[in-house]
Amino acid sequence: MSAYITASGAALPRRCVSNQQLAYQLGVTPEWIESNSGIKERRWVDPDQSASDLAASAVSQTIAHSNLRPEQVDYLIGSTISPDYQVPGIAPLVQSKAPGLRDVPAVDLRVGCTAILYSLQIASALISAGTAQSVVCFGAEAQSKALVLDRDNAEISMLFGDGAGALMMTAQPAPARTSGRPNIRIDDVMIRTDGNFATDLCVRAPGTANGPRWMDRGQFESGLFQPSMNGKSVILHAVRKLAMSAQEVTDRNSVRMDQIGLVIPHQANGVLLNLLAKRLEIPAERIVMNLDRYGNTSSASAFIALWQAAIDGRFEPGMRILIMAFGAGFSWGAALGTVVA
Amino acid sequence: MIPEPVMTYLNEAARQARAKIPEPDSSLFLCGILDSFTLVDFITLIETVCGIRVNDRDLRPENFDTLSKIDSFITKAKQQ
Repeated sequence: MSAYITASGAALPRRCVSNQQLAYQLGVTPEWIESNSGIKERRWVDPDQSASDLAASAVSQTIAHSNLRPEQVDYLIGSTISPDYQVPGIAPLVQSKAPGLRDVPAVDLRVGCTAILYSLQIASALISAGTAQSVVCFGAEAQSKALVLDRDNAEISMLFGDGAGALMMTAQPAPARTSGRPNIRIDDVMIRTDGNFATDLCVRAPGTANGPRWMDRGQFESGLFQPSMNGKSVILHAVRKLAMSAQEVTDRNSVRMDQIGLVIPHQANGVLLNLLAKRLEIPAERIVMNLDRYGNTSSASAFIALWQAAIDGRFEPGMRILIMAFGAGFSWGAALGTVVA
Repeated sequence: MIPEPVMTYLNEAARQARAKIPEPDSSLFLCGILDSFTLVDFITLIETVCGIRVNDRDLRPENFDTLSKIDSFITKAKQQ
C-alpha cells in the first residue's frame, strides 16, 4: 500500500536574530557567518517558549491544511534534540497541546537532522501494515537555549535556529492539492548509519557515558551539555554520503537525476548544499533553500523546507521529489517521492 | 611522493589563500590552504588522480592535514 504526504505546516518563533546581532557576541563578522554558512538570520524562541509549543502549532496547522479533523489522526511521531524535558519525550506533550487529538500513540525519534527520513519510513510502514490510516510527523527545535555565544563556539552557534515543521501521512492522497497540501506519494526511503562517527556531532550530557553520574557539576562546567561538532568531518561525510544516497535511491527506482524536479534537503549549511548541487549536477533553482532566513533547525529543517515548497506552490503533478538528510550518528539517506494530482 | 596534479591543486589553493606551502609536517588547515569545504573536492581529486577509493573509516580530516600525512595515505592506499 502506498503512503502520501497530504499536508504540511510550520511554526517559527517571532524573534529574528540577524548576523549583525550575533557576530559581535561570537567574535566574528556578519560577513564571515554568511560566507561560511549561507545564513543571514535565524529565528530564536523567547525564554518562555519551548520546542513543544512550536511543535503543537505546526501540528495544528498541518491538520488544518489536511482534509482530516484532529480526532481522525491515528499516530503521532515527533523528533527533537532540544526537548522540553529528558522524560517524557516531546510527542506526548504535543498530543496534549495540539487541540482535538485523541489518546493516540505518540513516540519520539532521537535522530536529529534525519528525522524526516525516519518519520517517512516508519509512517509508511504503519500505514502499509494497517496500524494507522493517518500519521502526523513533526520535527521541532528550541536549540538556541543550548548555544554558547563566544568565539570558541562561533562555528556551531552561528548555524542553529529554532522552529518546527510537520506533515500528515495518509493511506490515500488528498482530494485536492492546495497550498499546504503537497500530495506526494512516497516511493522509497533509504537510510544508513555509521556509529563510528558518533562523537563527531554530539551532545554528551546528560548521559551515562560521562562517569558515575548522569549529570554533575564537573560535566556542566566543562560544557558537556553543549553541542559539539567536528565541522570538517561532518561536511566531508555529508557531501559524499548525501550524493551517494541520491544516486542509490534514484538508481534503484530507475530514475535519472535530471528527472528530479525538486530536492528538499536538510538545511545544514548553504555552502555544503551548493557543493552537493554541484556534485549531483542539479541546478540550484531545483533545491529548496530557506536557511538564509531560518538557519539550521536540525530535526525541523527538512519539514520546514517541505512546507516552504508547498506554500510557494513549487509542487507540480508528476514531479519527482528527492528529500535528503544527514546528521548525528552519522545517519544519512534520501527519500524519493512523486507529486500526484 | 604526492602526484603532480595534487600538488598543483595545493599550490593554487595556497596562491588563493595568499599563503606558502608549509613544511611537510605543518597543518594545511591552519595556514588556510585547505578548509572544511575545499577538503571535499581535494579528496575527490586524490581519488581520481591516484585511482584509489577513500573508504569511510579513513575519511577523516586528520588524514589529510599535512603533506606528510597525504603522502603516506596515498602510498598506503595504493599498496592495498
